[in-house]
Amino acid sequence: MTSLRKFVIGIGISFGLPWLLLIVVPAISAQKLTTLSYDKERDGMEGAYPGKGIYRQGQLIYAKEGCTQCHTQMIRPGFAGILDPWKKGWGSDQAETPAQPIRPSTQRDYMFEPYAYLGVQRNGPDLTNAGYRLADKSRLEIHEHLYSPQAVNKWSIMPGFRHLYKVQPIQAAGSPKALKLPAAFAPEKGYEVVPTAEAEELVNYLLSLKKDAPIPGEVVADTAAKK
Amino acid sequence: METTETTSLEDSLRRAAIDRSVKGPVLFLFANAALWLLAATVLGLVSSVKLYAPEFLDSDWTWFLNYARVQPAHMNALIYGWAMQAGLGTMIWLMARRTGQELKGASTVIIATIFWNIAVTLGLLSILFHGSTSMQWLEFPKYLWPIFTISFLMIATRLVGMFARAHKEGEGFMITSWYILGACFWFPWIYLTANLFLHCFGSSLNGASAAGINAWYVNTLILLFFVPVGLGACYYYLPKITGQPIYSSQLASLGFWGLAFLGGWTGIQKYMGGPLPAWMPAIGGAVMILLLVPAGIVALNFHISTEGRHGLIETSPTLRFVFVGSFCYLALSAVGALLGTFWTGSLLQFTYAEYGFHILAIYGFFSMTMFGAIYYIVPRLSGCEWLSARLIRSHFWFSVYGTAALVVCMLLGGLAQGASINAPGNWNLPFVGSIINARGYLIGRTVAWVFILWSNAWFFIHLVLMVLGLGRRSVAPTLLHHEESHAPATA
Repeated sequence: MTSLRKFVIGIGISFGLPWLLLIVVPAISAQKLTTLSYDKERDGMEGAYPGKGIYRQGQLIYAKEGCTQCHTQMIRPGFAGILDPWKKGWGSDQAETPAQPIRPSTQRDYMFEPYAYLGVQRNGPDLTNAGYRLADKSRLEIHEHLYSPQAVNKWSIMPGFRHLYKVQPIQAAGSPKALKLPAAFAPEKGYEVVPTAEAEELVNYLLSLKKDAPIPGEVVADTAAKK
Repeated sequence: METTETTSLEDSLRRAAIDRSVKGPVLFLFANAALWLLAATVLGLVSSVKLYAPEFLDSDWTWFLNYARVQPAHMNALIYGWAMQAGLGTMIWLMARRTGQELKGASTVIIATIFWNIAVTLGLLSILFHGSTSMQWLEFPKYLWPIFTISFLMIATRLVGMFARAHKEGEGFMITSWYILGACFWFPWIYLTANLFLHCFGSSLNGASAAGINAWYVNTLILLFFVPVGLGACYYYLPKITGQPIYSSQLASLGFWGLAFLGGWTGIQKYMGGPLPAWMPAIGGAVMILLLVPAGIVALNFHISTEGRHGLIETSPTLRFVFVGSFCYLALSAVGALLGTFWTGSLLQFTYAEYGFHILAIYGFFSMTMFGAIYYIVPRLSGCEWLSARLIRSHFWFSVYGTAALVVCMLLGGLAQGASINAPGNWNLPFVGSIINARGYLIGRTVAWVFILWSNAWFFIHLVLMVLGLGRRSVAPTLLHHEESHAPATA
């Protein structure tokens, strides 16, 4: 049996090594990450980093619907031809020409969520900081985008998540939550589209996606001056 | 002279006894696998159309057919429905043949297969109608992983048992049984690690670590389950059919241990430039390049072993499929290395190129090898020959053209998509550029799936007829050409 034993030991060592060093040890040591605090003197701001986490209840809907198939949540550093830090609207600063590039994502950014939906592909825009981008839209507009993406961008290949919405007969003056849709996407006359609780949760989650807080000790002077 | 004849008669009887013992489970696994392959192909076709025409099949009652649900259903049906079951069937037959042992407890294997299929069915229905976990290749609901683990272990323990019995009888190590034995250990280890971390300890993990473990699972499943099983089959059929022994057992052993030592390190390069510590994706990318060494060694060994007998692919269906499969092993190592380095990977990251890599691994390499194995194994178990050489030929050509078109379209489409995402001029434009750039390649992806669907539909029908025992009653195997000639009994 020596040779069979040798074989099993060989498999054990050759695979056990990466298993331990690449998976188990880093996962355990990453659990020990703690929040950092800003230094008023150094950073010109106060509080803890990362701030509050994402809206978990809505993240479950995000996962269930499989949004990760097309949307990433990860800003890459800007070298080797990567454009992430300069994409308009992908960071906290929504200005036409932001004062500074968007910072790359860190492990601490995801410490309040059990699983970071970094994404499978990037067939649609990155959503790491979608909360800032959506802030200047009304909830109604976000719902309209989720209900019929092609009504917002004709070229969009995003599926419409109509099953998260309810079509109901209009009563009295109609629901204040009713979506305003172009004729081609609207339900038949006398009916209106309102979001279900799940759709509301999903929007809450998207609005909570804000992972662009500066890192303590690395706050750019410019931001510090502004705050 | 007399002794040789007696031995060969004894050999034949022994082989027949072994084949009888594995017949039920292996044919059952193959038939189920082929059905899931058909389902996976249809889902792949639907999801490919969704990428440029989201309004396709988008009425109110087909709400569950959007890309975000169909795509994971497609991949999971392909992996757990088709590839793993075809792999398990081939593993059982190869291990029985290689070790000269009969399969004990065939009913256990059948029960495990039934549970496996129930789990796949529940998982797919759940992805489509309830929703996925959004963890790549682990999209099935979390209550299913114990069923998959136990079913796999019920089968794997039989294989290990066969190996141990043969070992007691003094049979030496053979490279095919190494690879299959390796896969029996690796899969449960990888699968349990990923599921325990993501589903059981998930809430206390750092989210980014969890995503890294998922990426590791995907790559490791390819490198330490699909690659070893596929190579195990190649190492059996190439010498068997060409009638030439494997050129070098040292090279074979080097190729095996090279894969064993390197295979566990990769995967996290999917998230290079991401939140995980930079050494993790770096080591993944570096190891993907190092893996070219065992791949080259294996390819060299195959090449020298079959030198001079390449012409046999004209007649032998098995050799034809296995040839394409073993070539794709080299191709998938090259594409994997391209995706893993920062230099090219930063452009191809998060694009269709990753899907191309997965299809190259699971379809181009693994499935082609499994088709070859199935064409060899099924006639020996069902007692009849394949009905039509034309069906086999068209299965082969439509699969080859379909897979090649799919992989090329996805790599180029990924390049077009990545180039548009990273084009400095697009910094302030909406996301339309990458969608328009990739559209042509996505239409190519649909055409490729139509080809593959055509080939698999006939494969399924052909296989079901064989499993039902409705094949050709003949002593001569179905060869692709020269059907009239008295060819040697190898198919």
